[in-house]
Amino acid sequence: MIKTPYGHRVYAMAAEYQSAAALYEAAERVRDAGFRRWDVYSPFPIHGMDEAMGLGKSWLSGWVLFGGVSGLLTAALVEFGPSWFLYPVDVHGKPWNFWTVPAFFPIMFELTVLFAAFAAFFAWQAMNRLPRWNHPMFNWDRFSRVTNDGFFLAIEARDPRFTEDGVRQLLEQTGGQHITIVHED
Amino acid sequence: MSERLHGVPTPEGEYFDSGRFAGLSFVLGVVAVIALVLCAVGAIVNPHQFGYSWLFAFAFFFTLCAGCFFWTIVHHATDAEWSVVVRRQLENLGALLTVLALLFVPILLLRHHLFVWMDIPPGVDPSLDTKRAYLNWPFFLVRAVIFLGFFLLAALALRRLSAEQDKDGNPRFTISMRKVSFISLPMFALCLTFGAYDWLVGLNYRWFSTMFGVYIFAGAAGSSMSLLVLVITALRQAGYLKDVVTVEHYHIMGKWMLAFCIFWAYIGFGQYMLIWYANIPEETQYFINRNTQSWWALSMLLVIGRFFVPFAILLLRSVKTHPRQLCIVAAWLVCMQMLDIYLIVLPSLHGTGFHPSIWDLLSVVAIGATLGFVYLRMVPRTSLFPVRDPRLIESLTTVN
Repeated sequence: MIKTPYGHRVYAMAAEYQSAAALYEAAERVRDAGFRRWDVYSPFPIHGMDEAMGLGKSWLSGWVLFGGVSGLLTAALVEFGPSWFLYPVDVHGKPWNFWTVPAFFPIMFELTVLFAAFAAFFAWQAMNRLPRWNHPMFNWDRFSRVTNDGFFLAIEARDPRFTEDGVRQLLEQTGGQHITIVHED
Repeated sequence: MSERLHGVPTPEGEYFDSGRFAGLSFVLGVVAVIALVLCAVGAIVNPHQFGYSWLFAFAFFFTLCAGCFFWTIVHHATDAEWSVVVRRQLENLGALLTVLALLFVPILLLRHHLFVWMDIPPGVDPSLDTKRAYLNWPFFLVRAVIFLGFFLLAALALRRLSAEQDKDGNPRFTISMRKVSFISLPMFALCLTFGAYDWLVGLNYRWFSTMFGVYIFAGAAGSSMSLLVLVITALRQAGYLKDVVTVEHYHIMGKWMLAFCIFWAYIGFGQYMLIWYANIPEETQYFINRNTQSWWALSMLLVIGRFFVPFAILLLRSVKTHPRQLCIVAAWLVCMQMLDIYLIVLPSLHGTGFHPSIWDLLSVVAIGATLGFVYLRMVPRTSLFPVRDPRLIESLTTVN
């Protein structure tokens, strides 16, 4: 645990960049330097940033697939269960066996989409540790411009490669300005 | 932002060397002539079966080419960026509609074997008499001329304007093409829909389905995107478009294939379920015919092979960004489109079950070889992609 001389816990060392292009190039250098616990912040999505950060594939799709399949199975259970086994009712002479399945498709489709959407939403929240009240980056007053015209990069103190001098040097080399330590709380 | 943005040269245009493929062109020409002659024999020997076979082959290739035309007009109407590099091939394939308009003539000649309503005198069937205002021979002929004439003129106009732009790069041509496309969008919808009613639903005048036009459109758009993947890959295999069409374009084409795979299933199932659930004899006869006897196996193959299998495969990003794997899926989907049209046309003739005929095969070979031959003569005339399109650089560097 890194602390400042005044006893504050250190969250990260952060820098501000002039433009999206400068942030993009800085991200590539930080990626190449081998850091793992770091992030970039910008007012808008920057195309190709995931590649520049070396993020790799997100496993959100796995959760979505899980949600979709469980929705499909739930629909099959609640439709086939009553209509085939528990309480078959003659509707327009439609069959009571598996071949009545076209009537069930709409519900199967709806529940698949619904569960997949829920899975996407909640897994995304969990993966981003949301919802939360505050984020340490807001302890830096300049960071309020991130929703306006500010481009920021922060390397977290919990990264095993984090050293105050090393990170400051790297951020300076990549053209970062207003380099500062951000407090945890 | 990425490295690829820096230093993309303005390409000079690539030209198809027809000399390299003279052999293939010759073979296609010979096959086309032989098959067309044999088809003429078939039209005399067995006009009933041959009429259906020819209609099946015609409708299959017509949906493919009309789909390519659709992608061209959507490209212009939406001012799309990614599709500039593949647009010339869409235009070429769409221009084949001119040949198809010619190949429609046998259907007109064999009309009495195909469309039963033409031979039923007024007063015999009340359900037909109420439709006489639409189902009558003069109006049928006028409609066919309008539909085919529209496709022919619009496809040729778009191809010509695009080729003109290759010379000087004047953005005026882009505006003109956009205007043609805006007019073409509603016309395309009407012509394809009512063409499908006239030529396919008309095989059984008692049957109707308001979703049929959209169903044909869904199949046409999806399978023509698959055809585009195949054509582009064939050109790349021959050494063209190597630096022009990237894996990003394949990814987008794969996404469209997936989208229309789902859309086809959505429309197809919607049509099936509404008819199945309402259980009105006039409507259900269509599906009873196709879901009984040996047709059932083919219908199930269509459901599984046209939706479930390609849907699951196309969900994977790795397949969409891998040209060779995407080509396998694309070829499969084109075959499934053929099966789809087969199941629309032929059960009207063989109500008792699957009954393959040599004329089915010969018709497909005849039209396919003719179109292939014309295509090979058309491709060398212009660059393989629109060289002076104002959005070419953006298209070359497309990232998705």
